[in-house]
Amino acid sequence: MNKILDVVKVTAGYSSDIVLKDINFEVVDNDFIGVIGPNGGGKTTLLKLLLGQIKPFQGQINFYPSSKDETLFGYLSQVSDIDREFPIKVIDIALSGLMSNRGFWGESRKENRKKAFEILTITGVDHLYNRSVKELSGGQLQRVFLSRALISQPRLLILDEPNTFVDNKFEKELYELLKELNKRMAIIMVSHDVGTITSYVKTIACVNRNLHYHRSNKITTEQLAAYDCPIQVITHGKIPHTVLLDHCKEGSV
Amino acid sequence: MIELFKDLFEYQFLQNAVAAALLVSVVAGIIGTYITSRRLVFLSGGITHASFGGIGIAYYVGINPVIGAIIFSILSAFGIEALSHRKNIREDSAIGILWAFGMAVGIIFIFLTPGYAPNLLSFLFGSILTVTNSDLLYLLILNIVVILFFIIFYRPILYIAFDQEFARTQKIPVTLMNYILIMFIAIAIVLSIRVVGIILLISLFTIPPATANIFSHHFGKIIFWSILLSFLGSFIGLILSYSINIPSGASIVVVLVLMFGVVKLLFSLYNRIQRKLIMF
Ligand SMILES: Nc1ncnc2c1ncn2[C@@H]1O[C@H](COP(=O)(O)OP(=O)(O)OP(=O)(O)O)[C@@H](O)[C@H]1O
Ligand SMILES: [Mg+2]
Repeated sequence: MNKILDVVKVTAGYSSDIVLKDINFEVVDNDFIGVIGPNGGGKTTLLKLLLGQIKPFQGQINFYPSSKDETLFGYLSQVSDIDREFPIKVIDIALSGLMSNRGFWGESRKENRKKAFEILTITGVDHLYNRSVKELSGGQLQRVFLSRALISQPRLLILDEPNTFVDNKFEKELYELLKELNKRMAIIMVSHDVGTITSYVKTIACVNRNLHYHRSNKITTEQLAAYDCPIQVITHGKIPHTVLLDHCKEGSV
Repeated sequence: MIELFKDLFEYQFLQNAVAAALLVSVVAGIIGTYITSRRLVFLSGGITHASFGGIGIAYYVGINPVIGAIIFSILSAFGIEALSHRKNIREDSAIGILWAFGMAVGIIFIFLTPGYAPNLLSFLFGSILTVTNSDLLYLLILNIVVILFFIIFYRPILYIAFDQEFARTQKIPVTLMNYILIMFIAIAIVLSIRVVGIILLISLFTIPPATANIFSHHFGKIIFWSILLSFLGSFIGLILSYSINIPSGASIVVVLVLMFGVVKLLFSLYNRIQRKLIMF
């Protein structure tokens, strides 16, 4: 397994405010990491740190590129401050995910458009390709942004609460899609829907000022408490899940 | 009217005016679409008025006022861009400060300059009828550079303008791109001052894209239509100004606004008819 990046003794935050303290973390090819934690715990901050949008106060983040022209990141942010009036079409938003591809300049426009249509079909918004941003619903826009994150087949897909705005049906489809994509790329996904994600992710990172990396997708309430991760595990009836509640005997920690 | 076309063939200054209108329309259509899409209209207003400080200082020191204006406006544009990334100063406040400061500096230095500043009024209200060959040459060079830049970098420009945060995650030199574009905005503004003047300049960069945006939501098509509308408006405005003897800058702006109104009206009529057709 090839390492994609590691985070070594990093402390980070905003101006004078320290949000993440002395964290260690690593991402390896084909990881599927669920990031959980309370509101304001620092999940989005962790992702921004990996993406280089904020710099650590202390410590370092190392990257281990596999080839020179790989597209490292696909990114879906939790909230984007885009302007809904901006004159851009859905198809172009999807295409913008190819920006860092080496083929962006060389590859024919036709080739790229074909890719864009394929990905928009997968996310179920291909019929909207010629709409402008302001003519989309919240969930439709979320699907378009998801397409933008996926189109480049990145080595590491980073999703910050991808299930916001989208309906239950698509949420289910999305997780199945991610499972499929995970064969080709590593995925980091933030979610509050702990009960559901644990049946899809491989490992769990609990983020609440500190980071506890739990190398399994089974986690108990006790473990969460030990990790200082005050979140509730809500189990969903229909979806098969592997969350173990109150099963102290099976918990290994 | 026919007389005007006869004059057009006869007088160099009229030919220059039409050429200037065309060149300014192209660059204003491109830059203006970028400005309005990114909501940088207020920023551009700030740059325009800040450039007046450069004109004043240039008069006082005795150098070419266009050069003074370009230096001043690029510096203020970079200043705004840099300031706005510090969270402790709000961008619109920074622009407001620069706007007022530039005007004040300009007025003080022009006041201090001994003798009469003959072209001052033309800087405020424009004087497309006195455009010189060197003005046209500068505009032509700017046009070529801006057109090439926007053709080559059309997609990165569009994607960065739409979502900087995402572009930054894609190994794109977002900051460099922003500085280049804001420099183009500053230069385009200064070189267009001759056509409509500082006070009315922003109209040339905002009204045509706003008009095109009524019926199109495609960045590239808005550029195309803006250029067309801008030239049409400038040309009609020029004819009006020449034939009924009113200030050219103001008459161009009035025509552009009227065109905006007409397009808006036609478009809502069109929509209403479409709705009716669907309901039946
Ligand atoms: N741009 C910012 N400037 C200053 N403080 C910030 C900024 N963004 C976030 N914070 C602070 O950092 C802390 C962590 O925020 P972060 O967005 O990482 O939380 P989160 O775990 O993603 O929460 P949520 O579940 O609500 O998305 C919060 O206390 C927040 O107030
Ligand atoms: Mg968050």
